[in-house]
Amino acid sequence: MTAVSGFRVGVTLHSFAQEYLNLQWSFEDLMQMAGLLGGGVEIVGPSHHRGFPYVTDEFECQFKGAVERYHLTPTCYGTYADPYMLQHRNLTPDELVEYTIPQLQGAHKLGFTLVRLQYFVYPVIERLLPYAEKYNLKMGYEMHVPLTFESPRTQELLRQVEHISSEHLGMIPDCGIFARSVPQFAKDNAVRRGIPENLVNHAVELWKAKVPLKEALDELTSRGLEKSNLTVLERFWGSFGQSNPESLLDIMPYIIHIHGKFFSMVDGDEPDIRFEEVVQALLKGGYTGWLSSEFEGNASDSFEVLKAHQEMLHHYIRANA
Amino acid sequence: MTVATPLDATAPPPKRVGIVRSFLCDEGFRNATYKGQEGYEVQVRLTSYRSLPLSCVEGLTLKVDGQEVSAENITFIMNGYSHSISELPQLSSIWWFILDTATLFVAHEGGLSAGVHEVEGTLITVEPYITAGRFSFYNSAKKSLQLEQE
Repeated sequence: MTAVSGFRVGVTLHSFAQEYLNLQWSFEDLMQMAGLLGGGVEIVGPSHHRGFPYVTDEFECQFKGAVERYHLTPTCYGTYADPYMLQHRNLTPDELVEYTIPQLQGAHKLGFTLVRLQYFVYPVIERLLPYAEKYNLKMGYEMHVPLTFESPRTQELLRQVEHISSEHLGMIPDCGIFARSVPQFAKDNAVRRGIPENLVNHAVELWKAKVPLKEALDELTSRGLEKSNLTVLERFWGSFGQSNPESLLDIMPYIIHIHGKFFSMVDGDEPDIRFEEVVQALLKGGYTGWLSSEFEGNASDSFEVLKAHQEMLHHYIRANA
Repeated sequence: MTVATPLDATAPPPKRVGIVRSFLCDEGFRNATYKGQEGYEVQVRLTSYRSLPLSCVEGLTLKVDGQEVSAENITFIMNGYSHSISELPQLSSIWWFILDTATLFVAHEGGLSAGVHEVEGTLITVEPYITAGRFSFYNSAKKSLQLEQE
């Protein structure tokens, strides 16, 4: 599946969440399909193995066995910071470090050389770097909505990454920040929840016009949106960002991995995410890492939609090579 | 002649029938005795996409045939260990693996009558990173369950 480009296309097993959680496909099945979808496999710690935040010897055998059987390359291990896991207080900096170290160790044990970080570990990153060195890992902050290029938090993370300037620390943009439109399923979902269609459409217009969330919700409320439905439309702002894929070129030296988040495939294309421009930027910037197809939507078959997504990517790669 | 092995597959593995994921399982609804007490069991699942420590289970409620079950009568049993509902929020190092079921044992003298019962349940969880502080997600399910024979 590897095309002529310098970067490679794989898959995160999170894409199969629907069938995996419904017990239609086992973990082994997902690994087998990763072999049919580019060969790079990314996993999500607490979704795909027991014992989290640790990796047991048993899972190590299971995972490495499947990597060998299906000729896979472990690309990225999804760590979590889970700062709100305790009932009455947030994790302290010490606890964030304690919680993350076994995850780094576990990722290494499984043969990963790269991990996804949640931005919450930002204040303790200096204490994690020695472990990244020890376990030969690159760590990358995930730029997931609301962490668009424009968000102050992203800017703060970028300043830190630039300042520390370590080969063990970088960024992982999630393509959900490159939306051109609100996906149909999100609009359908809002209508299904009983929100009048004209309000849903108005929310889409406000989103398009980049009206800040709070202002937009005030406006929608004044037009009759019920309070109980606020979170449904809030999701437009929480799930779909409007950064320009060209911005990838500004941070190219720090990009260590990409999450190819997508929501649907229609006639061989992703209607809502600017993937052609993403591919163009990655090629232009000489990106040589992996891009994991990451499906998050409703489909009758995750494998088929992932295959279509990767065919689209390879088409754009050939067209822009 | 070369015979293709499953490992050389070019098509995805077949899908099992699977389940329709819900807090309430279809199976395992039966009368039971636990630590000498009579009652019944309901099997439940996490509704998140990932494993959670029990400290992220903020609460759960159960209604059977329209009657609210008191939390004090429910014992949460997972991996052979039992916990009261009220102690779950303190258990931050005990993890509920995403594919595992847990058993709710409800103390109820004489158990339930044979036949179908209306079971309703709500699981209240925290996704421990969304977004600014603890935010509760309510996942409700309602099923007509046939009491299994012992």
